[in-house]
Amino acid sequence: MRHLLDKKVLFFGGKGGVGKTTCASATALAASHAGKRVLLVSTDPAHSTSDIFEREIGPEPVELLPNLWGLEIDGAIESQRYVANVKENIQGLFGHHILKEANKQIDLAASMPGAEEMALFDRIGGLIRGEDTRFDLIVFDTAPTGHTLRLIRMPELMEAWIRALSRSRQAMLGIAQDDKTDPVMISLSGRLEGLREFRARLLSPRISAFMLVLVAERLPIEETARAIEQLNEAGVTIGGLVVNRILPATSPDPFLQSRHAQEVIYLDEIDRRFAKLPRVKVPQLASDVHGVRTLEALSEILVPLARQR
Amino acid sequence: MSVRQNIRDFFHGAAYGAYERELRMQAAELNDMFLLLCYMEVVGLPNPATLYLLDVYPYILEQFHLWHKRMGMDRSPLGNLPCC
Repeated sequence: MRHLLDKKVLFFGGKGGVGKTTCASATALAASHAGKRVLLVSTDPAHSTSDIFEREIGPEPVELLPNLWGLEIDGAIESQRYVANVKENIQGLFGHHILKEANKQIDLAASMPGAEEMALFDRIGGLIRGEDTRFDLIVFDTAPTGHTLRLIRMPELMEAWIRALSRSRQAMLGIAQDDKTDPVMISLSGRLEGLREFRARLLSPRISAFMLVLVAERLPIEETARAIEQLNEAGVTIGGLVVNRILPATSPDPFLQSRHAQEVIYLDEIDRRFAKLPRVKVPQLASDVHGVRTLEALSEILVPLARQR
Repeated sequence: MSVRQNIRDFFHGAAYGAYERELRMQAAELNDMFLLLCYMEVVGLPNPATLYLLDVYPYILEQFHLWHKRMGMDRSPLGNLPCC
């Protein structure tokens, strides 16, 4: 995992409850120890990074530890912020009557289903494009797989949309007037450029990587296999797998021994099916992970283990 | 108006005059297409780009007005898209 710290953007994804947040937080912590200025971003609507660090984290980056900042993105807040920003931008450009109607329409559009997701996407896009130059590395603790894969396909989808719109506008302007001075065209071109950069950085193996977290059980293995397929299809680089919470073999307890025997089979399956990807194995810890001290222990397991590989 | 301008207008009219109506209609149709793409969710179709279109809404408001006039409707036919 050591080489991953040299990337600019890391995603942690996986099935619900497998330990995405702890792995993302521990990796962010390790990177901050390595001297990187790290921003840990939670995009899951059910944020839990604040629980791990045992302090409030909001919609703006807050410094948690030296070199480590936290941010919890909230779709509703981002959508309000986006709308306020647009209204401010058009304020000086139009007369009172048009502004009144336009503001009505803007409020209406912002209340449509999907607007929050889109605002979330826009904020993530800004972060990935590196708009906030304070940070060397951004670690995303994502929502469970399905939601995140959709988000990753979005730049492509949006780009196609905006391109179709600008083509339509261009065809229209071709007959009536020049398209270099048309404010609608200028706005669309700007959006298109931003989306292209977002996608380019997301797909660059030098800049971004996606980590998949799983535990040695049937359902997480299947979901991981599907996620790998879809990420490959989208062209996103997979940094590796984190196999979390592996039980110790030494327990005399028959219940735990039986669980362990089953786990060995699944671990074999993981090694076989995901042979091409780097894998990091994390043992079940004696206590659950919350607070910086226990996180520290996990980050030492995550990073040196990778160093041996 | 200068003589040069007059000559230019004469040739422009000679070349395009016969087609002007058609060109105008074509421009109007393309305009409508663009409007539809911008206002898709008003007619019930999901539009993934809505938020990115917010800042062009004031510019296309005027076109919307022209559209409902041209379609022979004095008032905006869409209740949730007020115009006049």
